[in-house]
Amino acid sequence: MSIHKFGTDIIALLYALVKAVQVYDLNNAVVQTAAKKIVYSLKTLLNIYSRVQLVRYMDYVFFNKQRLRFEIDGYASLQFIHDKLKTLGIKSLSFLPGIDKEEMIIFASLFKKKKEEFTNGYSSSGFKRILIEFSTEEDDAPDFLREGERIKKTYFKALKVTRNLMQNLWMNQPIDVKSSRRIIYNLIDSLTQDEFGLLTLTAIKNLDDYTYNHSLNVGILALALGQRIGLSKKSLAKLGSAGILHDIGKVALPKELIYKSERLTNEEWELLKKHSDYGIKEIVKARGLDETGLISMTIAYQHHWNYNGSGYPIHNKNESPILFSRIVRICDSYDAMTTPRMYQVVPYLPHFALRVMWKLRNVWFDPLLTKVFIQLLGLYPIGSCLELDNGEIALVIRQNQGYSEQPIVKIILDKDGKKVAGKVIDLSMNSGIKVIKPIYAQKYGINPATYFM
Amino acid sequence: MESGPRDIIKSLAKAVKAIQMYHINHPSARNFYNPLYEKMAIYLKDHPVIEYQIDQFMISNRGKTVYKEDEKETSIAFRLFRNGIRNISFISGLSFHELIKFLRIISKISKDEDIALELWEGDFEHINFYVVEEEDEVIDYKVPDFTKMDIDYDAKLREIIARENIDLNVPIKPDLAPEELQTLKNQIAETEQTSAIPVAITTLISYLNTEKVHEIIDILKELLELCIDNRNFYDAIRIVNKLSEYPDINPVAKFETEPIIVGFKDVINTAHQETFNEFMNFISFFSKKSIPYLVRLMTFGKLKERLQDLRKAVAYVAQDDPTALATLLQEQDIDVLVNTIAILGSIKSNETITLLEPLMNHHNAAIRMEIIAVLTEMDKAVRIAKYLDDDEEIVRIKALQSLTRLKYTVIYYDLLNRIKSKTFRNLDFAEQREYFNCLVANGGHEVITQLRKMLFKWVFFRRKRYSVMRKLSAMSLADIGTGHVLDILRRGAKRRNKNISSACEMALRKK
Repeated sequence: MSIHKFGTDIIALLYALVKAVQVYDLNNAVVQTAAKKIVYSLKTLLNIYSRVQLVRYMDYVFFNKQRLRFEIDGYASLQFIHDKLKTLGIKSLSFLPGIDKEEMIIFASLFKKKKEEFTNGYSSSGFKRILIEFSTEEDDAPDFLREGERIKKTYFKALKVTRNLMQNLWMNQPIDVKSSRRIIYNLIDSLTQDEFGLLTLTAIKNLDDYTYNHSLNVGILALALGQRIGLSKKSLAKLGSAGILHDIGKVALPKELIYKSERLTNEEWELLKKHSDYGIKEIVKARGLDETGLISMTIAYQHHWNYNGSGYPIHNKNESPILFSRIVRICDSYDAMTTPRMYQVVPYLPHFALRVMWKLRNVWFDPLLTKVFIQLLGLYPIGSCLELDNGEIALVIRQNQGYSEQPIVKIILDKDGKKVAGKVIDLSMNSGIKVIKPIYAQKYGINPATYFM
Repeated sequence: MESGPRDIIKSLAKAVKAIQMYHINHPSARNFYNPLYEKMAIYLKDHPVIEYQIDQFMISNRGKTVYKEDEKETSIAFRLFRNGIRNISFISGLSFHELIKFLRIISKISKDEDIALELWEGDFEHINFYVVEEEDEVIDYKVPDFTKMDIDYDAKLREIIARENIDLNVPIKPDLAPEELQTLKNQIAETEQTSAIPVAITTLISYLNTEKVHEIIDILKELLELCIDNRNFYDAIRIVNKLSEYPDINPVAKFETEPIIVGFKDVINTAHQETFNEFMNFISFFSKKSIPYLVRLMTFGKLKERLQDLRKAVAYVAQDDPTALATLLQEQDIDVLVNTIAILGSIKSNETITLLEPLMNHHNAAIRMEIIAVLTEMDKAVRIAKYLDDDEEIVRIKALQSLTRLKYTVIYYDLLNRIKSKTFRNLDFAEQREYFNCLVANGGHEVITQLRKMLFKWVFFRRKRYSVMRKLSAMSLADIGTGHVLDILRRGAKRRNKNISSACEMALRKK
């Protein structure tokens, strides 16, 4: 069993116990059974590990240094425990060898209390085998989370590989397939370590490099969504490659058309639509007929097929796009809407792009995947600029799992409209501050990318 | 046994060297990796993980150097470092199979092998590793240029809201209901299990439904080869069906060669029945050109029913034209001849008999028997009757069985005379029995009288020898099985003549 599985099991058992003590008397059989189960599992783990430790940092929970991913399965229990740790101000929670049922039940019963009562209760109960480290205002990231540089390096290397791939196809040059394969696994590793690190970088939009940036961003968004719904690593590798290659058919179109800054004529638009067809041929050139190549060509062909059977290229309406195509359809639309282009200098704000997608779920987009996508990004995705009810302007720097409307923000403009390197506020933590509306940062001459690089 | 991180990495280095020198399955290599696994298992019993940091020429554990080798060719540190691997952890629960897979990857000598990539694709559960991307040139990740533009952003926002008709009061609730979660999980499970090939074929066929594009046809042809290699005849047929819509394309031509067709022997002998059935459908697209190779393939067939199906399929390929098989009748190979004759039997053309004429008296009994089978299929009893005088007993028996099946009444008196002749007693019981079966099948009511006569015949000399005739008569009467006939047998069972009574009792018992 993997560390991740051990962790999700312990979270599920702790959730069951805390819920049980909230409803039943401590001597009730339900509580006793729940406590017995978690103690049994902890004892088994403590035969392997010297301690079992849960660490909360920002919106993550780590189990013995391994970050537990929010997946659709077990989402509720992880979110509940994460929220409890957060509201009770617990930075780390360790279980030591010798832990017994009684100690566990008393400890779980404290979870009902408010922060102060919990702190007092914990200190007075004198737990010997349950250790808590409380958060301070300025908690540093755990060592194992200081991955920013590596993630940036991975992102920009991936961008370079994507650019080379497309340029080589454009010029009929040989393709470096090994680099493409390698970068996908690097992206998966980065996402596993810190999902939001890469998602942050997808929020940096580059008008000059739209085609390459967009291809990579779609690949990353697809990987993040695929990871969130629990796809295996092998499937993620295929999905990520396919995401990056989804628009590859554009290399077969005239460059003037791709980079045209005015609105396209009907004829040009019809020609542009051919990129889905051309994608098949280009992918065979780039990847051959291996599993990834075959999946990628299908996605390239289907990524403009809609959930209700409409879309292009013309197809039998009863023929549904495959799951991966439905994922890429969502990620492609979102990134396209939120990215400035020659003929769309002011893109959609991420929040409004999600609103459009919400409206079109069941029509263009798979409704279930749309929901998971919004869970993943939050209602105000990273990079969004928000007007707060205290008059300040803030930038979303992190999501709060389970509180999609209350992200973690950094104040960038004070009440007087002056640029500040303001503090970081978690809007879910009773800050009393509310979001008025999302706005364009550019309106204030702010380039959000500077805060993420 | 020592089993610390230093000792483990030393053993690992030795195992890698041994695998490079010998094959991984060689006993000498095993002598190195078996103890390595034992050491790791012992260590991981007490520790959750063994973690190694990789440097260019050395490997360390918790800050202490545990391996050092400066020679690039032999250093496992260098081999891993070169591919960007900076850290490797073996986690408690590591299986022997995983370790072997890991050793197999890191023991590859070629510089072109990307160990990191292979480790990733190996999808290990109990081996973690950390890879960095080393770049010769520094990647320039500067903030994209930003120029403040003279745009009324609020107006732009209002425009977007109006254009998209966005109602800002609509609540967004992205939580999945339990049944939605289950639906999604089912879709994921299905996706994880489905091969990419059928999906890609559907895509390409869908494309061709709108436009004929040569490159797409070429991709489908390649996929067709892949399907054939994988014995995936179901998808192969989908491709062939589509490509057959184009008169200028013969998608199966490439497969109509002797090596490829004979290579299908696994399909006709060991493949799953469903695969075999799909193979039968697939070969129905073949042209007459493939017939000799398909017949050659049949000679490897070990399963009778499949062989029959294959013969029918070839008859279909021959489009009921027996001349397509004519040249094969010149073959010396008996198996080829037998199968060719059998296929001709399926075709049932007038020309078949003409083609088989030269082989009617072939020296090999198997050929003559197969000809009888064909003649039976074609209802040619007169021809079959000639084989009653064949030199080989099995041929004669086959002929009798065929005549029994065909009900050729003209033969009745001939059979009766043969049975009554002295030479009949010299035949084996099996053949004698077939004669009686044939007599019953081709005689009218009269046969009961004849059988009764033979059963009760008064014999003075050689009674014992005649007892066989009584038995055969009694058995045939029992086969007829009407009330009247059974009365005859019951009366016979009460006779004082023991030969008669025992023959009747035995026949009644068997009844």
